[in-house]
Amino acid sequence: MNKAGCTFKPPILLILAALLLGGCAAQADPHRKLIYGLTLSPSGIDPHINASAELGIPLRSVYDTLIFLDPVTGEFVPGLATAWSISEDGKRYTFELRDDVVFHDATPFDAAAVKANIDYVLNADHHSQKAAALLGPITSVDVIAPDVVVFNLEEPFAPLLDSLSQVYLGMASPQALERWGASEYQFHQVGTGPYRFVEYIPNDRILLERFDGYDWATEIYREPHAGYREIEFRFFEDLATRAIALESGNVDILGEIPPMDAQRLSSSGEFSMHPVPIPGQPLQYLFNTKNEPTDDVRVRTALIHAVDRQMIVETVFMSTSPVALGPLSAEGFGHLLSTNQLAYDLTSAQELMREAGWIADQEGVLRDKDNTAMELTIIAPSWGSNPDVAQLVKVAWEALGAEVTLQIAPGFGPLREAQASGNYHAIGINFFGTDPDILRPMFTSTGLYNWSGYANNELDNSLRLAAQSSLDPVQRQRLYQKSIEHITTQALVLPIRDYVNLVIADNDIAGLRYSAPGWFPLLIELKPTS
Amino acid sequence: MVPASHRTQTHFLIDIAKRVFEGLLTAWIAVTLTFFALRAATGDPVSSLLSQGLATVEQAQALRTALGLDQPLTIQYLDFIAGLFKGDLGLSLYTSQPVDQIILQQLPSTAELALSGLISGVLLGFFLGTTAAWKRDHWTGKLASSLSGLSTSVPVAFIAILALLLVGMLGQQTTGNLNFLGYSGLLPALVLGITTAGPIAKVIESGLIESLQSEYIHAAMARGYQKDLRLLWHALRPALPPVVSLSALEAAYLFSGTVVTETVFSRPGLGRLLLRSILEGDFPIAQGLVVVAAIFYTLSHLGADLIAMLLDPRLRDTT
Repeated sequence: MNKAGCTFKPPILLILAALLLGGCAAQADPHRKLIYGLTLSPSGIDPHINASAELGIPLRSVYDTLIFLDPVTGEFVPGLATAWSISEDGKRYTFELRDDVVFHDATPFDAAAVKANIDYVLNADHHSQKAAALLGPITSVDVIAPDVVVFNLEEPFAPLLDSLSQVYLGMASPQALERWGASEYQFHQVGTGPYRFVEYIPNDRILLERFDGYDWATEIYREPHAGYREIEFRFFEDLATRAIALESGNVDILGEIPPMDAQRLSSSGEFSMHPVPIPGQPLQYLFNTKNEPTDDVRVRTALIHAVDRQMIVETVFMSTSPVALGPLSAEGFGHLLSTNQLAYDLTSAQELMREAGWIADQEGVLRDKDNTAMELTIIAPSWGSNPDVAQLVKVAWEALGAEVTLQIAPGFGPLREAQASGNYHAIGINFFGTDPDILRPMFTSTGLYNWSGYANNELDNSLRLAAQSSLDPVQRQRLYQKSIEHITTQALVLPIRDYVNLVIADNDIAGLRYSAPGWFPLLIELKPTS
Repeated sequence: MVPASHRTQTHFLIDIAKRVFEGLLTAWIAVTLTFFALRAATGDPVSSLLSQGLATVEQAQALRTALGLDQPLTIQYLDFIAGLFKGDLGLSLYTSQPVDQIILQQLPSTAELALSGLISGVLLGFFLGTTAAWKRDHWTGKLASSLSGLSTSVPVAFIAILALLLVGMLGQQTTGNLNFLGYSGLLPALVLGITTAGPIAKVIESGLIESLQSEYIHAAMARGYQKDLRLLWHALRPALPPVVSLSALEAAYLFSGTVVTETVFSRPGLGRLLLRSILEGDFPIAQGLVVVAAIFYTLSHLGADLIAMLLDPRLRDTT
């Protein structure tokens, strides 16, 4: 009888728990260290070499950057560099550096340190996965004086300032880089930030300790000194147990909480919900312009009209994130987007399909003049809420009369592999970033992620020119507006929702605020409420 | 003429040598399959490495060259096998760290979890199995039998989440903090033990029932032996060898199959390492783990056979 089976186990655990409780009950400690949850365990955490966004959550506060991007104004402000200038041809960046900064290992920060960092990133043997790409066409770094450094570029590269404000180009102690080398440095990181790196045990934890000598806080930090002495980062990769981890007190702050859990926790009174918008590309599907029938812009447009994105956002995300307006998020790029976007309109969708030669038969199946039924394949990554969203897109396209196959790719490798086969009509892929240049790899004809297969000289030129027009922000803005309009008119992408990271924090913690790229908390501003 | 005992000993050694050879062969096949299957299934790791966007085609090509991934597959394979003979498992594509170092770093946590899970599983399995057979006609026996059935059929993730919820609830209701339960490894070990106990209990139950019905037990009882622990031991002995083999299998399974437990309890370990290295296309780590797993499987089976021979003289004679 199973009833007996069910009542049997709990007493054992209860007794066990009670026994242990008697001996080891821990008291609440007001000076306890803060525990911050990471939602995936990166393969490596050297920001100069590895690319994961997760590593920046702790390390943004271990490193300072030459400049910072103000999350409120969107302006670049001084960091380790006090001032900078760009030569008229856009190929020479001169930085004046602070002379009062020391690394956590007491090495002084100077122009030679900057050069050592850039050389470390560009060293081909170090296999840099992101930082090297962020530096673009940089050729060399010259030390002009102890507090003056010059970056030489092969061609103008407008995103450089944005790159230099990112943790991936955070300034590390040249002595530590030299001593440990590329394979070991990730375990012995040394920066100049408000927190000192103590240890990293892969899959287990990262520990930071307040750096008491921190005396050069950038103006974006509202607190000059850190509130918590120690912050430990633990990995909570399992989506289903994140809420439990918060409720049982195993973690104080944790992101990427499923919307339903987030709303429940925030209404409990013990936690607060922080929806953090992540600038970059929205959750989106790129149309394959090389395969029939999505090679026809009318079909692509019809497929966009057929999807009720508002409904998807309500169903999957419980309205915790905004409906996307275009190929970039409204957060950070609102000024580049036009508001007149393709809306849910089934009648127009059917009309466009008819124009494109796809007529619904008696059973509602779309058929072309050869009587072939419309078949579509969607490839969606397994992460985020992609599978749920793709399922709803599939249903919407089926309602329009297409036969739809949905494939879920369990990782980036499998996604890339499925893409390389070319057998798809729509594929889910998006990147995050604070510079609109993230459009270039995806929408230029030779881009590494041109998964729509779209090739157009005009679009190529405007995206390339925009990346180079470093001196004229107005021209740059116009070029991006033009590019986005092109991408939208050509219906290259079905954007669903702007990414929002749902962070839940214990109410005992005050001052939670995030840097411009969204993911990274300004740890220096955190403090206990009491 | 060679004495009979020597002959047995020689046979025994030949048998072990045969097993080791078979193990090496299996390991080679497993590693080769992994080498090619990974590349076929997950494609070009450079796209995973650069999955945060922004890189150009030229930068991707430069990285591919630096990692040696532009070499023909046969060359890469021969390099890898040559490395194995030198005890070199290669370097992680993501961090350039030696793979053996990465595995060694995660090994203790998994070994601890697998071992404690196995021990609690065997203990629990013995308890449930003997109770089920010994008290076959009593309700306790029936309960034990259905519990072991339940533990076989309920997925480990379910039990793990249930256990976490339970401890979380208990922690909220009492003033104490029970978090150490999850992190100390006690709870994961118990969860793993519960799922391991089922098959072991079933094997013990059926073996014990069979031997309890055998003639020698009937004869012993006819001679006035009580149904007590001494009799249980006699009845249990013939049922043990299959339990040992099964435990070895379970050990090998636990060693590589802790990924769910590790993920739910946010513990470090080889299971998570394997999963991530496959999904991210860090081939050298996945290959290295297969090598280690193959060695472990071979050793644990060899060990199980040896223990079974010690336990059951009949097996010694036939080899």
